[in-house]
Amino acid sequence: KMADEQQETSQGEMESECVNCLAYDEAIMAQQDRIQQEIATSNPLVSDRQDLSVLHGEYAEEDTIYQLKIKDLHKKYSYIRKTRPDGNCFYRAFGFSHLESLLDDSKELQKFKAVAAKSKLDLVNQGFTEFTIEDFHNTFMDLIELCEKQPALAELLGSFNDQSVSDYVVVYLRLLTSGYLQREHTFFHHFIEGGRSVKEFCQQEVEPMSKESDHIHIIALAQALNVPILVEYMDRGEGGTVNHHVFPEGSEPRIFLLYRPGHYDILYK
Amino acid sequence: LIAADGQISGNKNTNNLLESVSFLRGPEDTCFEGGVFPAILSFPSDYPLSPPKMKFTCDMFHPNIYPDGRVCISILHAPGDDPMGYESSAERWSPVQSVEKILLSVVSMLAEPNDESGANVDASKMWREDREQFYRLAKQIVRKSLSL
Repeated sequence: KMADEQQETSQGEMESECVNCLAYDEAIMAQQDRIQQEIATSNPLVSDRQDLSVLHGEYAEEDTIYQLKIKDLHKKYSYIRKTRPDGNCFYRAFGFSHLESLLDDSKELQKFKAVAAKSKLDLVNQGFTEFTIEDFHNTFMDLIELCEKQPALAELLGSFNDQSVSDYVVVYLRLLTSGYLQREHTFFHHFIEGGRSVKEFCQQEVEPMSKESDHIHIIALAQALNVPILVEYMDRGEGGTVNHHVFPEGSEPRIFLLYRPGHYDILYK
Repeated sequence: LIAADGQISGNKNTNNLLESVSFLRGPEDTCFEGGVFPAILSFPSDYPLSPPKMKFTCDMFHPNIYPDGRVCISILHAPGDDPMGYESSAERWSPVQSVEKILLSVVSMLAEPNDESGANVDASKMWREDREQFYRLAKQIVRKSLSL
């Protein structure tokens, strides 16, 4: 009995110490929340289209590497549309840019609608639970149907800036990416580091929101939806010119993205 | 809802926040065997984009459970929200995860504490350095859970 009481006291003391580590963890999470909030208030999910020259102001004048590369970018592009740097920027940039390009191309839009409509069944056949994914698919189809009515661009932009609509589209594009990687796992497993299976990679790096995208995600989504993507890479590398890659290689790109380390925006000719 | 290994949960709506009460059975062949532990799952308004939270409403002493009962495992965290610095290969919340998966992960956490990510530092320390004492405390908690 004595021993029990002693245990109880020592447990009591321990708990008061541990309340401090709880407060500490909570402080970290609160700070992360504040940072997210700050990013959110200063960056819309998808911005208005801006003149490409706005990029010059984002770097110091004496930062010649970037200033030269921005000049180089100007040879091919005139405008930029920015996305919020929240880890979902690739999917949001892709989704918006593609639907925008389909607003005045009803033939392509119908082809895309058919691919998108069928995509849910492919995911269900692969083992995704229908009732888990159908809300995301429905939101995606609703946006495609909105585009069929040829709305003003502002309406599409409004939908992409409605947090829940926009995030549901991101989720669905993540699922399509995951589904394609898993269907083609015999090919993609060569590119996955750390001894993980393609399925594990998808559960850790593709399906969770805010996980950033790399080449492998871009290739998968471009092929899953049959929408070739060109990415201009702008980083600190020497040379003064911007390099680009087309996914899949050798195809005629439909959308153009600018990559700067950790982030994707949309480019316009 | 009765999940694969006998977890039972039911729903109740309080203060506009959907909450679900679950009873988790302590996994067999572990120090929590025989216990029946009540916990509340609270679903945020943007579920399933964000994960639910889980909190035991009984006494618990475990490396991955805060002293106030809140459960701290990677599947209940979005990638950006990571106070414990989980390894990058840890299972994360995603909108296609399920409640059943959470309950299974929590049961396996009871069976195999992760003493790297200590939500309860003292429990982590005891788990590492004085396993016998940890088992004794766990037994007390099991007995308490049954005399509800």
